[in-house]
Amino acid sequence: MGRADSLAKLAWAYGIHLTRRRLTRPRSQLQELFETYGAEGIRALLPAERERHPHLIGCINCGLCALAAGRMGKTRLPDLASSYIRLYSRLGEASTDFEGDGPDLEAAASACPMGVPLAEVAAIVRRIAAG
Amino acid sequence: MSPASDHDVCVIGGGVTGAGIARDLSLRGLSVLLLEKGDWGAGTTGGSSWMIHGGPRYLEFDWDTTRLSTQDAGFIVSIARNLVYRVVFLAPVLPDARHNIERVETFMEVYDRFQPLKKAHPHKRLTAEEARQAEPGLSPDVIGAVTNEEWGIDPHRLVYANVEDAVAHGARALNHTRVVDLIRDGGKVIGVRYRASDGAVTEARARVVVNATGPWSPQVSKLAGVEVQLRPAKGIHIVYPHRISNFSILTESIDGRDLIMVSHGGFTLLGTTDDDFYGDLDSVDVLEDEVDYLLQAFERVFPSIRSYRPVRVTTGVRPTLYKWRRYEDELSRRYEVIDHATEGVEGFVSIAGGKLSMYRLMAEQTSDAVCRKLGNQAKCATATTPLPGNESDMEPPSELARRCGIPALAVIKLQSRHGSRAEKVLDGARAGRLVCRCEPMTEAELAYAARHEQVRTLADAFRRVGLAAGPCAGAACVMRAAEVIGAELGWSASQRFAAVREFVRGAWLGRAPVLGHAGWAQEELAQGAMRGLLN
Repeated sequence: MGRADSLAKLAWAYGIHLTRRRLTRPRSQLQELFETYGAEGIRALLPAERERHPHLIGCINCGLCALAAGRMGKTRLPDLASSYIRLYSRLGEASTDFEGDGPDLEAAASACPMGVPLAEVAAIVRRIAAG
Repeated sequence: MSPASDHDVCVIGGGVTGAGIARDLSLRGLSVLLLEKGDWGAGTTGGSSWMIHGGPRYLEFDWDTTRLSTQDAGFIVSIARNLVYRVVFLAPVLPDARHNIERVETFMEVYDRFQPLKKAHPHKRLTAEEARQAEPGLSPDVIGAVTNEEWGIDPHRLVYANVEDAVAHGARALNHTRVVDLIRDGGKVIGVRYRASDGAVTEARARVVVNATGPWSPQVSKLAGVEVQLRPAKGIHIVYPHRISNFSILTESIDGRDLIMVSHGGFTLLGTTDDDFYGDLDSVDVLEDEVDYLLQAFERVFPSIRSYRPVRVTTGVRPTLYKWRRYEDELSRRYEVIDHATEGVEGFVSIAGGKLSMYRLMAEQTSDAVCRKLGNQAKCATATTPLPGNESDMEPPSELARRCGIPALAVIKLQSRHGSRAEKVLDGARAGRLVCRCEPMTEAELAYAARHEQVRTLADAFRRVGLAAGPCAGAACVMRAAEVIGAELGWSASQRFAAVREFVRGAWLGRAPVLGHAGWAQEELAQGAMRGLLN
């Protein structure tokens, strides 16, 4: 099957598409999109979080925050910033990892050489994990 | 020279195609020797976009390629459930795009006809406002978007799963083993001569030798005195150690090529280039120009892209079939099984061209050709036989986590690599200790990989279990990893240091083209943490 044949079939499909668009009223498909892929964790970050995202993921796992504060539940703080935030689409299945007390996140953040806002990271991780 | 061994078939090349052929032939009852000069999947397969997809863009050139690859993707999704995940693309349209939104939607409408073959959903169309709700990082200039769905996959684990299953069915598979010559008897190829990592040269006799070496095929075929002509094309990807967008994004480059930013589980691949390549296949450099070419395209639709810190780049050379055409992008991704008997060389078969999504089909057709030569009547079983780890359903991560005393997230990652065999990997006292915390990965899994999965270097561990794949790029884990692997393989202290040094230097080659301000800071930290080792 050659290129000319492929292009001819696409041109035919294009004509049908344009005709259909003229004859039918478009409907919103956004909700359907979210419902289709909700289970995959694909829509996890909110617009405000998305805007802050480049600042949230600067962790290089140096471990200095762990010297200032310990764990959030069973999770070490460096892991929270270097691992959990990067795997956010699967956090719903890992919610048990955060059961327990929260540490002094401001103190931990002040030790971070990359300026990662750990309190913000922790809040997002907890929100996503809670579903 | 060590004495010869005898096999029905010797497969040269441990990428996904070679591994797939070895598995296919082993399932048909043949004795197979599989040889790979580096590590499993370390060449073209590992440099891929980590997707099995039909590729809507092939609809412009060749609907058959789209149909075949979506159909085969469907089989792979069924036999490798633990390795695959849905990747949902948004194709945002800018006012000056090569294709307007009606054309883009037409492509996706046509592609929807193929989607059921790979168990994927049909496309959705979004207005500009809806597109920004779905993906808040999109440019305000976007006038609308169309979605489509593909499957993501870990190609390294896919290759190893094929190798593992081939071995389980009687094959012998050796990595870090280079074929140095073909043994010939007149016009017939009757075996191979190979050098193992310890330098020992061994002969293996085989009734058929298969050349599945991807872009290296012309070099290997020369050993048999025949020609395989390719038009190799280099492709690079920028790797971000995070998921940086809700959806994967499809856009176009300054020269109108389709580019993708793929949101995999915990990382993002941005690519790819497609340029004729004439250089050394064993030393493919990445240029800053190539990185900029990709970033320039994506910042038009996703303006914050330059705020993110890449962790490295990957390169691969596609073994595209030869054709004299103006643009590399227009070349077909079809493949060809070549029985060199037609050129007077018996016992030698090459497979050339193709793509990751069609690896199983390529392996099936190559194996069919081999079986015809050998008079073997057995049918291919790879479309329906599950790969290792897919024999039963996986247990919920939180339950396995509680029983084994490791974080649930570590179980999720473990299951994504080992499927229903995850608990078996965690046997032993090291189950609860994480060695690579970014990934996150346990010492038990790393030790298992060294003991049972042919990990011989730290780079092998990167491919097999994701060691150092995260944001720290190994700064926090490679020393400990060398201890764990070294204990399994009997490395001395100096061998452990040497392994770390080799890994860090190798990683540096992939990092240099993308290091920005924060990247350099990270590099300083990594070098400082390993001070003394690199001198």
